[in-house]
Parts: sequence; C-alpha cells; structure tokens
Amino acid sequence: MSLELATEASNVVLQSGAAGGPALGPAAASAIAVGLAAFGAGYSQRGIGAAAVGAMAEDESLFGKGLILTVLPETLIILALIVVVLIGL
Amino acid sequence: MSTPGMNASSGSPGGSNPEYVTARVRARRGVLFDDDEYSKLVRMGPAEIARYMEESEYEREINELGSRHSGVDLIEYSLNRNLARHFDALLGFAEGQLYDLIARYLRKFDAWNVKTVLRGVYTDADSEAIETDMIRAGEFDDALITRLLEAGTVEDVVSLLDGTIFGDGLEAAFEDFQETDTLVPLENAVDRAFYEQLLSDLPSGEAVGLYREFLEAEIDFRNVRNALRLARSGADIDPGAYFIDGGRLFSASEMTTLVENTDELVTRIRESRYGKKLSEPLDELEAADSLIDFERALEGVLLRYSKQLGNVHPLSICPVVAYILMKEREVTNIRAIARGREAGLSETAIEQELVIL
Repeated sequence: MSLELATEASNVVLQSGAAGGPALGPAAASAIAVGLAAFGAGYSQRGIGAAAVGAMAEDESLFGKGLILTVLPETLIILALIVVVLIGL
Repeated sequence: MSTPGMNASSGSPGGSNPEYVTARVRARRGVLFDDDEYSKLVRMGPAEIARYMEESEYEREINELGSRHSGVDLIEYSLNRNLARHFDALLGFAEGQLYDLIARYLRKFDAWNVKTVLRGVYTDADSEAIETDMIRAGEFDDALITRLLEAGTVEDVVSLLDGTIFGDGLEAAFEDFQETDTLVPLENAVDRAFYEQLLSDLPSGEAVGLYREFLEAEIDFRNVRNALRLARSGADIDPGAYFIDGGRLFSASEMTTLVENTDELVTRIRESRYGKKLSEPLDELEAADSLIDFERALEGVLLRYSKQLGNVHPLSICPVVAYILMKEREVTNIRAIARGREAGLSETAIEQELVIL
C-alpha cells in the first residue's frame, strides 16, 4: 500500500520535474521521507497497539511492557529525522 | 449479539482485529489449569475442588451459583457458565471476518442447546432442569432460548427454530421423527446443519485454508469415532445416517462398508494423512481393544493439531479455535475429576480420563 503510494508519488514528481531542474529541493524530498517513515511507523503501531491493549485488558500489569513495545516503531521516524538533518538542512 | 437467523456469510461491518483478539485469547489461555494443578485437583474431594475453583478463574460463577447448588452440581454448572461467559466475550470483542469465523464455530453450542432442549422436551423434563444444562455461548439470544425452554412439544421446538440454520434440516427430519419416535434423526439433522454452515463459503487466504484442513480433520475424526462405535455396538443401524459430510477420509457409502469390517477401517486410517499422528493410538486400539482410550487419543491429537496451527498463523482464527478447544477440554477434565471423585474412582483411573497436553 505505502509502496504503491510512493511509486505513484515519484511518477508525479518525475513528470512535473521534466521541465528542467529538480522539482523538489533536498528539503522537500526529506520532508516526504519523514512523512513516509511516519506512515510506516503508524501502520506497525496499529497492530502492536491493538495487541498491547488486548493484553492489558486481561492483565493490567502489562501496561509498561505494552507501552514500550507500542512505541518501538517510533525509532523509524527518529531515523528519518536524521536523514533530514544530514540532507535537508 | 446478532439475530440467530443471520446468514453465515454476511460479514459484520469493519475489518477484523486479529491482533487484539489473539492477545486477549493468549492471556486467557495462560490462566488455564496446567499439569500441576490437575494433579492437585485429582487428589481433592468435590467440596475442595469447588473451593479451589473459587480461588481461580471460576470465582464469579462459584459465588453466583453457590447458594443454589452444591457439590458436583455446583462445579458442573459453574464450569458451563464460565465457558459461556468466556466464549460470549470472544464474540464481544471480535470484529469483521474474524467475528464470523468465531461465531460459526461457536454455533456448536447452539447445536448443543437445541439437542438439550429436544431431549428435555422428549423426556418431559421441567424447563428449569433443562435451563441449567444450557450453555449460553452460541448465537441464540436470550429471548429465543426462553421461548425454546417454554416449548411443550418437539413440534413446537422445530417450528421455533424455523429461520435459524437448523430450521430446514429439522423440518425435513421431523417426519422421520414422527414415524420412528426416536430423536436420532433430529439430532443428526442438527449436527449436520452445524458442520455444513461451518465449512460453507469460507473466505480465501492461507490461514483460512489451513483452518479448513483442521475442520476437515475434526469432521473426519468424528466420523471415525462414529464408525468405530457403530462397529463395536454391532447394532443394525444405517451408518450413513450418522455420516457428516465435508471430511476427506471417506464418503457415506464407504463408511457403510467400512463399519462392517473394522480391520479395513483401521488400515484405511493408517494409510490416510492422519496415519502418522494416529499410529500409536491405532496400535493400542488393535492390541487392547479399548475404544475409550482411542477416542481420548483422537481428542488429544486434535488439540495438539489446533495448537500447532495457532503457532503457524498467530494472527488468524487458528489460535482462537485452539483456545476454544483447550477451554472446552479443561471444563471436561474438571468435570471428569469431580464426577470421578464423587463415584469413588481411584486417582490413576481419573488421571486416565483426562486429556492434558
């Protein structure tokens, strides 16, 4: 799903960029990268969050573990932010 | 809960939520009794078992029913009620396709309730006695169950069930019932209606494909058990009447010939795809001639099969069905212990009755 979106987006980018010079500056490109990374993180958190809430409903002491596992995919966005720092700025 | 007449293939709105459901199911599976607890229970009397249950999962039911029943009855009714509560909860938090698949499997208890009512009405039991034996875990709502309990004759029951999945089959079997005055045709119709809707238009997908294989194994095992029982009883009954469609092992006509020749039946099972899993129990069956041990072995194999399937496809119907089977098994085990202790069986005799993974 996200891959299809990405290729479609790049097609649009390529067509509009044919006029000459890059259509997207490094800042805009890295912004897209962060957006896609956030999308991926959100998708994976959907599953983990649902499972964590399910586990918590049965046993409240699992709150800590559930929380940690749910936020683990956030690392994806943090890594994407590094890309912004390296390229965009 | 949805109406009992709901078409099996019509999905409830929204996508399914296997992550949430399997997480909860796994947690519930974790609190089932294990080997150690069973070996403790085997040494207790009925009153002690009830007290032990009061400190476990079954606390709520024991407290609710403690004033009305006592002894083994208390244990049995609390077990049934606990089972119903857990399975009802499953339906409560499953959504979409997963809900449909679970609901289909849990109609097993609708079938059980229909059979209980039929037997109760047939033997003129009072409705209170029937009610205590009901397991309210299926899709029938309370209104329908109340009306079923109020029914005075078998014909009333059949007409009340018109429009549910059992309606058509029961109506067709009702004529047979009037001719023979035995419940067998009606009960077979209920079983057959349940297994038909279980397998009909299953959604596609790898996990559901494996689940279908599991259901086929369940049907096959049931047919094998019926065939062996019929062969053992030597009664002059048409085995085709007990045959349940949908299995892979044999057809109705094959079953009729195989019932007459047990050796051939055993060879047939050995050569089938269940041969490897069942080879040990089959050896025992041939050597010791004990059908009860073999039936328990069949259940053990099915239980292990479902559990393994749940590990292969953790985010599907598979772990849920594995849990349903294990919970049912726990209830049967505790009941066997309580009834066994009451009847004064020895500890080893009771332990043989249990199926523990």
